[in-house]
Amino acid sequence: MTTASTPAGVARAEEARATDGAPRTGVASGYLRHAAGKLGGALVSLFAVLVTSFFLFRIIPGDPVKAMTHGAPTSAEQLATLRRQFGLDLPLWQQFTDYCAKALTGDLGTSFQFRAPVGDLIAAKLPATLLLTGVAVVLYSALGLWLGTRSAWRHGGLGDRVNTGLALTLWSVPSFWLGLLLIIVFSVGMGPVPGLFPTGGMESGTGETGFAYVLDVAHHLVLPVVTLVAVGYAQTLLVMRSSLLDEMGGDYLTTARAKGLKDDDVRRRHAVPNALLPTVTMVFINLGHVAAGSILVETVFSWPGLGGLFYQALSVPDLPLVQGLFVVFAGAMILANLLADLLYPLLDPRVGR
Amino acid sequence: MTSLAWERRRGSATRFWKAYRSHRAGLYGLAGLALIALLALTAPWTVGADVQSVTNAPGTALESPSAEFPLGTDQFGRSLLGLLIWGSRISLLVGLLAAVLSVAIGTLVGVLAGHYGGWLSTVVMRITDWFLVMPALVLAIVLATVMSRSVWTVVLAIGITCWPTTARLVRAQTIAVESRPYIERATALGGGHGHVMARHVLPNVMPLVLAQTTLGISAAILTEATLAFLGLGDPTVTSWGGMLQDAREAGAVSSGHWWYLAPPGIAIALVALAFTLCGRAVESVLNPRLGVGR
Amino acid sequence: MVMVTKVPSRPLPRRPRRAARLLLAAGLTTASLATLPATTAAAEDDKSGGTTLTVAVSQSIDSLSPFLAQKLTSTSIHRLAYEYLTNYDAKDARTVPAFATEWSASADKLTWTYKIREDSTWSDGKPATAEDAAWTFNKMMTDPNAATANGSFTANFAQVTAPDPRTLVIRLKKPQATMTALDVPIVPKHVWEKVGDFSKFNNDQQFPIVGNGPFVITDFKVDQYIKLKPNKSFWRGAPKFDELVFKYYKDGDAAVAALQKGEVSFVPNLTPAQAAALKTQKDIKVNDAPGRRFYALATNPGARAQNGRTFGNGHPALLDPAVRKALFLSVDRATLVDKVFQGHAVEGEGYIPPRFGSYFWKPEDAQRRGYDPAAAAKALDDAGYRKNGEGKRLGKDGRPLAFRILCHATDPNDKAVGKYLQEWWGGLGIGLTVECLDSVSDPWVKGDYDLAFDGWSVNPDPDYVLSIHTCGTLPATPKDTGATDNFICDKEFDTLYAQQAVEYDTAKRADLVKRMQSRLYDTGYMNVMAYPNALEAYRTDQIASITTMPEAAGNLWGQDGYWSWWSAVPAASASGSEEGSGSSSTGILIGVGAAVVVVAGGLVLLRTRRRATADDRE
Repeated sequence: MTTASTPAGVARAEEARATDGAPRTGVASGYLRHAAGKLGGALVSLFAVLVTSFFLFRIIPGDPVKAMTHGAPTSAEQLATLRRQFGLDLPLWQQFTDYCAKALTGDLGTSFQFRAPVGDLIAAKLPATLLLTGVAVVLYSALGLWLGTRSAWRHGGLGDRVNTGLALTLWSVPSFWLGLLLIIVFSVGMGPVPGLFPTGGMESGTGETGFAYVLDVAHHLVLPVVTLVAVGYAQTLLVMRSSLLDEMGGDYLTTARAKGLKDDDVRRRHAVPNALLPTVTMVFINLGHVAAGSILVETVFSWPGLGGLFYQALSVPDLPLVQGLFVVFAGAMILANLLADLLYPLLDPRVGR
Repeated sequence: MTSLAWERRRGSATRFWKAYRSHRAGLYGLAGLALIALLALTAPWTVGADVQSVTNAPGTALESPSAEFPLGTDQFGRSLLGLLIWGSRISLLVGLLAAVLSVAIGTLVGVLAGHYGGWLSTVVMRITDWFLVMPALVLAIVLATVMSRSVWTVVLAIGITCWPTTARLVRAQTIAVESRPYIERATALGGGHGHVMARHVLPNVMPLVLAQTTLGISAAILTEATLAFLGLGDPTVTSWGGMLQDAREAGAVSSGHWWYLAPPGIAIALVALAFTLCGRAVESVLNPRLGVGR
Repeated sequence: MVMVTKVPSRPLPRRPRRAARLLLAAGLTTASLATLPATTAAAEDDKSGGTTLTVAVSQSIDSLSPFLAQKLTSTSIHRLAYEYLTNYDAKDARTVPAFATEWSASADKLTWTYKIREDSTWSDGKPATAEDAAWTFNKMMTDPNAATANGSFTANFAQVTAPDPRTLVIRLKKPQATMTALDVPIVPKHVWEKVGDFSKFNNDQQFPIVGNGPFVITDFKVDQYIKLKPNKSFWRGAPKFDELVFKYYKDGDAAVAALQKGEVSFVPNLTPAQAAALKTQKDIKVNDAPGRRFYALATNPGARAQNGRTFGNGHPALLDPAVRKALFLSVDRATLVDKVFQGHAVEGEGYIPPRFGSYFWKPEDAQRRGYDPAAAAKALDDAGYRKNGEGKRLGKDGRPLAFRILCHATDPNDKAVGKYLQEWWGGLGIGLTVECLDSVSDPWVKGDYDLAFDGWSVNPDPDYVLSIHTCGTLPATPKDTGATDNFICDKEFDTLYAQQAVEYDTAKRADLVKRMQSRLYDTGYMNVMAYPNALEAYRTDQIASITTMPEAAGNLWGQDGYWSWWSAVPAASASGSEEGSGSSSTGILIGVGAAVVVVAGGLVLLRTRRRATADDRE
């Protein structure tokens, strides 16, 4: 969720800036050591996630077999068969060793309710989530960067106040609620507004191919993306704004201006590139959050992605699927953090070289 | 000595207020919070707990707004305005408690890790990092699913998942504070770990903690609404998120009962915004370098 | 239209800012996207010229293999794709011929002989024979993995043979009354004998899927859609629609919105508010039909296993019939039907809903438990449960009585009824905690509950819903899971169940079933509160006519046969309707206009703000 993720993301960026005074040694070898350390840390984290996800989800109450068969005529023999098929009749430690052995080979087990390999299910739904969140992240980062730059450059002015105010207000809105309102107004149609966009799903399923299909998907993409962007762009805006304000206090800008450079040039050539650093870092860290963050929007817009799958799997509980998704969500965060950690020193000449 | 310290603190509080006053957005936020707090605290006298009763509901199902029911009624015929006011109590309570819990955990972990350093710090920060990479909402959903449906579950789920940020910030601040010379003097004069942490570190990280709490409440209120919306809240208490969930389950979205759906969402947004504005103002007073607010 | 005339011919700023261009591009994309539905719809009409019936569904398919599928969506689709031995008449749900044309039982009731239809062929052209049926049943009897979904039907089979392609013979271990209600899809042997592991085969790799039902499954995308085409050679006659699509809407409101827009033809499971709103709309018909479910309160009668061990932590006071009676007496079922179901339900009494007329039973006046809070309070007083000074009713241990009720977090009705129960039982001085869980099965199976919301869909043959209250379905030991519903075990009920299970005379069996319900009512462990209606809606400009089940006033979704979708007749305007495309092209124009206005507004805003901020600075 973007809202919950915000303080974390900002904090990382802030902290990275706050601790940049720490002494660093070496040049290239220093970076390599830094990278190796981060990589090792990420691997440890990933392993910890694998292990915890097993135990975390074993404490979920609910008998998957009973839940799945509810409403259907089922005999005790059938229940036993299901239990055996799912490996639920084995002792916990054996389930755990099986799980670990399989996980090491990349096999995340077989989903109870879909009876298909978890890896396949996730792979099938991953593109939808990547598409939705990818488009949203690109758009809200771009929007946030642009508006943040404008705001900082004219900070304190009316434009800045409107800008920041609007962003903060949208940031405070629950994303699922905004999504529902958008559906009421732009899908169902309300008053003079006709229902312009589909109510949910990713495609009409009427057999479009080629460009028509692309357009069809794009058409379905509009409302969910608008929701994610509206709720999410404030974060980029605020970080960009504050780091640009920081930069603008720098002596070199005054010098640049004194040399007679135009405001626009000063902004474009000097201040913005430097201020981009923390923002880009934060965008990267956020990349990890959005996969899990789309749970709500996917639920509201019936988007066939991982978020919806997770929620559905949790209610059975479809243990292998829940575990697999959790590993994917956490893995995405680990990867994003790793990327941010690796990129930051490369981008910022003042850190880690 | 103590009175001197008292004087100094009062002085800094006055300075703080003076600086805060110059942040217009922060003042708006504070005013909004005061108003909402007033509404929530006086709810027992203005609407009363009876507003939740289904057997004595005054209206019929899903009435449109009218003079008697300014925001209409829900599917049981209860006044939505009454429920909205009553629901503010749970939403605010959960937001507050969850934020306090998460900040308390974060502060404790951060101060300990920052003060002791060494292997303790390494281990604790590893755990913190691990929590930080956990998708917070996913973890909160799992915790809320595991435990029975109640307000306390939601508080715990949010509190447990949101502390790592605070922990990292507090640790950094602790290290910065302890590098100051007077801490060394205090240690040299025989101040123990407890003395240093309680007397010197804690007062210095408190402002940061305050800002974190304020911002945290805003996030917690949103998370509470989210969990309730996903059906993980306590269905027997009235909260804003729960009202949204009820509205959705009643089919208010497609049947055009927008007045059922809109007010709780607006209320959540306003409270979250008010807390955010206050938090940002506090933050920028304490750390003008951030350049936020204004 | 006014908006369109507003299209600004205003020149763009001389040196358009990158951002402004971006905004413009975004606006144009939005505008072009808004025009999409009409163009794609038109394209589709050109291509196929066919009629499509689109059904909104929310429940995921667990498997397309008939040997694994258990969810309602999956089994409903199997009904369409495969023939079963028998079917249920749309009028009155009596058994009618399907894959079998006639059947008879031997005098000793142990051998059943079915005559198999000659005019049924698999969709790949091969004839469908008794051999296929025998293979299907034998597979289920010999391979536990193939018995996953429907093993309960074949558990009592001794031997299944096909002496010739038109004759199927089933020998039983002991008599079985459900032999004309074997809801097992018969699969083509020549396709399925190649399958290796039945627990892993989901039947969703090769399309079209070979079947002999009225429809053929042609495409499937998990949680997006399932597509079916009519089986032109179906013996009863091909369905009228050219395509049947089950499309996923995980959100009920989104499904209803799609119906309003004409994106789907049919939506099941409406809420009362949605039904009320849809009733007033043009071209939409709301079908409010008696349901096949009962919705009940179940008390924990003291969970126990067949080995005599008791377990769980059910409240001991509920073992006292007086307490249960008092609780049930203070449940105002009429109010629940009125308020919670908004009238879209029938007040509950007996176990089997009234739509199954031959088995429906009502309590006699002497045994009936009506709404009577005064009598409830008196019953508690008489039984020695008195109120203390604070108005709390005290149990035999001197502590205030307080119960827990298990509720399904996903069922709004549970939560709503829970609120009423809290207040009604609060009036008696009894506390109630509503414990809502995503999956109630865990505490339920362990017997860790006091009361629970319970409900089952009843089949035309009531055997199964009755069997789950017999002692034989209790778990073998407390560690096992039984098929039992809520641990009821009653000798008298069991005797009657055993009698009806071997009674082949329909009238006599019906009488036994009624006596069982009477006994169940008297044990006082369950209180059937309501029979919720099936609330569903369809577009009359897409579907001209459709058969409900029962025909007089019945449901469309989740029927016991394939009648609804098989019988649906497309409306004249369903394919390439002029009217439809006309209105959507107006929509496009408005959309384009709106987008243009937004873009223009954005530009103006940009410029003015730039000026304003510039002013600020100076």
